[in-house]
Amino acid sequence: MVEIKEVLKNLSNLDGPSGYEQPVLEYIENVAKKIANVEINIDKHGNLIVRRPGKGKRIALFAHTDEIAFVITKKEFGNYFRIHTFGGVDPKVVISQRLRIHTKEGISYGVVGMLEPHLQTEEIRQKNITFDDLFIDIVEKADKVQIGDLATFDSEAFELNEKYIAGKALDNRASCTALLYTLELLNQFIVSGDIYFVFSVREEDGVSGAINASYQINPDLAIVLDVTHGDIQRPSYPKIETGKGPVLDIGPMIDYDYFNKIKNLAEKLSVNYQIEPNGNHSSTDTDSIQIAREGISTLLISIPLRYMHTPYEVVNIKDIEETARLLSFFLARGGE
Amino acid sequence: MKLFLKELSDIPGVSGFEGKVREFIKEKIKDKVDQIEVDKLGNLIAFKKGKVNKKLMISAHMDEVGFIVSNIEEDGKLSILPLGSIDPRVVLGKKVVVGEKQILGVIGSKPIHLMEGYEKVSFENIKVDIGTTKKQEAEAKVKIGDFVSFAPNAMVHGEWISGKALDDRGGCSLLIDLILEDLDLYYDTFFAFVIQEETGLRGSGPCAFKIKPDLAIVIETTTSGDNPEFPEARRSSELGKGPVITPAHRGYVNDERLFNFAVKVAEENKIPYQIKRRTAGGTDAARIAITTGTPSLVISIPSRYIHSPICVLNINDYRNTFKLLSLILIKEVL
Repeated sequence: MVEIKEVLKNLSNLDGPSGYEQPVLEYIENVAKKIANVEINIDKHGNLIVRRPGKGKRIALFAHTDEIAFVITKKEFGNYFRIHTFGGVDPKVVISQRLRIHTKEGISYGVVGMLEPHLQTEEIRQKNITFDDLFIDIVEKADKVQIGDLATFDSEAFELNEKYIAGKALDNRASCTALLYTLELLNQFIVSGDIYFVFSVREEDGVSGAINASYQINPDLAIVLDVTHGDIQRPSYPKIETGKGPVLDIGPMIDYDYFNKIKNLAEKLSVNYQIEPNGNHSSTDTDSIQIAREGISTLLISIPLRYMHTPYEVVNIKDIEETARLLSFFLARGGE
Repeated sequence: MKLFLKELSDIPGVSGFEGKVREFIKEKIKDKVDQIEVDKLGNLIAFKKGKVNKKLMISAHMDEVGFIVSNIEEDGKLSILPLGSIDPRVVLGKKVVVGEKQILGVIGSKPIHLMEGYEKVSFENIKVDIGTTKKQEAEAKVKIGDFVSFAPNAMVHGEWISGKALDDRGGCSLLIDLILEDLDLYYDTFFAFVIQEETGLRGSGPCAFKIKPDLAIVIETTTSGDNPEFPEARRSSELGKGPVITPAHRGYVNDERLFNFAVKVAEENKIPYQIKRRTAGGTDAARIAITTGTPSLVISIPSRYIHSPICVLNINDYRNTFKLLSLILIKEVL
C-alpha cells in the first residue's frame, strides 16, 4: 500500500539534480516492484521505465524525476565558493539557505551567506541580488569540493496542516508519487492496455529524458504529469487552486479527443478538476513528446503547487490522490 | 567545556518569548550556583560567590531575531512584523514555527516564472503559510501576537557550526560553560541571561539596576563581513582569529581599563584575539553603562550572517573566548 505522504516525503528528501537522478530512480524502482508485477528497464539515457504489460493500446505516463539544482562555479579564498543554477531559481530564495554539495567523496555542506544588516551600506541594502552576488561558505569538507560539483537545497519535507506536504523537489516528485499510486490502484482493475510508467530524467536542464523515452516506446497516447502554479492569480489566467483536484491542460500540445474523454470520465467519477489554458508552450515535457516520431497524441495533467522552484514547495495530498484515481480508471478502460 | 550551541540554537526564543531558553539554561545551572532568580521582566540571574565583596555582572542575551503575527488574513495566511533587525531578503523560502503550539509554517515566495524582472522584497509582502486557506481555520491554530521563529536547523560541521540563533546563544552557552567550570571567581559574580536585546536592549538595564555591579562584561556574537562580496577594509572581524574585544560601539565607548585588561590577559596567555574594527551595532554594554554608570566591556565570538535564519560560528573561536573569559573572571580587574 502506497502511503502517499511517506512516499512523497521520502522522494522530496532524496537528491536528484538533472543528470544525477539515480537515488530517486532506485527508490521508485523499489516501490514499484512491491506494488505490482512489472517489467523494469533503464534506458540508455537513464530513464526508468516501469511496464505493466497488457493487451490493447500502448499508453505511456511520464513524470520527470529531476530537480532544480546549483553548480559550484568558482573557488574564492578560504572556504568560499561561487554558485550558479540551471533550472530557473530566484536568487533571493537561495539567500540564507544551507545546501548539500554532492562531491566525488560524499556530501559537503555550505551556507549561502548574507552580510549582517549592521554592516550593510545603503547601496547593499537596495541591491537587486543576482547569482553573481551570492557566495557559498562551505562549512563542512570544503577541501572535497570541486568546480562542477552540484548542490541541492538542504530542506527536509514535512506535513503542513495535515493536508499538505512542504519540501523541496515536489516539482516533480508529486507527480512521481501520483504515478506510483496509480500503479497500485490498477491492481483493482482488469486493465485493457499496455501501460508504461516513465520516470524520466533531465527535464529541468532541457527535456532530453522524456524525448528519448517517447521515441523508444512510441505510445498511442502519452500522458504527462507535472506541476503547475497553484493559489496565485496569474494575469489573464483562471486561478488554479490546491485542493481542487487535478488540472487538465488545454492548448496546442493537447490531443482534444483524449482530452474530452478524460474530462467526461472525471465528471462521471465526480473527480473535481480544473482547466488550465496554455499558449505557445506548456513548459513541460509534453510539447517535445508531441512531435516525437511521426507525432504522438498527448495529454497534460498538472498538480497544483505553491512556491515552485523554492526550498519549500507545497502540495495538497488530495490532489495527488484524485489525480491517481482519475488516471487509474482512464487507464483501465484503455484510455477511453 | 560542554558546548550547548546546537541545543540552544534550536530552541525558539524570539524577543519577548525567551521562556523555553530560560528553562533550558536554568536546568543546566541551577545546582551549580549559590542563588538563582527570574526577575520581573524575565531575566535569569544566577549568582556565584567570589573572593571579594565587589560585584561583576557578566551577561548574554537569550533572545533571537524573529517575528510576531500582526494579522491573520482572509486567505488564512499570516502577516508578520520583524522583532529585531532583519533584512527581508533573508526570509524567503524558510520553514518557521508559530506560537506556543509550535505550528509549522513556510514563508513562501512567488515563483520566478511569474515575476516580471526583479521584484523587491518587503515585509508587507511576506506572508507565513501554515496550510490554512481561510481566516477562521487559521484562527483555530494561531492568534495575533504569537511569535514566529525560524525552524530549528543547527548542525555541527567539525570546527564549524551553523544555526538560526547562534546570536546570542553562543554567549549563553559560554556563560553556562563558565558556571559549570567552577572557577575560583575573584568577584561576587552575577551571570545574567537577559531578555530582549534585539528589540532595543530592554532586559539588561533593569537587570543591572538590580545587581548594581562594579563592573560588567557583555558576551556577544558579533558581525564579521569576512566574505568575498565585502571589501576587506570594511570587515569588522574575522572568523578563526579568536575572541573579538570591542573598544567602542554605537552608544558606548567601552571602559578603557577593562578593554586594556582583556587585551593584556589575551597577550600574556597567548590567546588569539582581535580588536573589533567597526562601531556598527550596539550591545547591552551601552544600556548597562547608561543605567548604572558601570564600567563595561563587550567580548564577542566572531560570527557570520547573524540576524538571518542561518548564522555560522567557528568552534575554535568559542574555545578561545572561553579561555580568555575563564582567566579574566579569576583576576582582579579594577
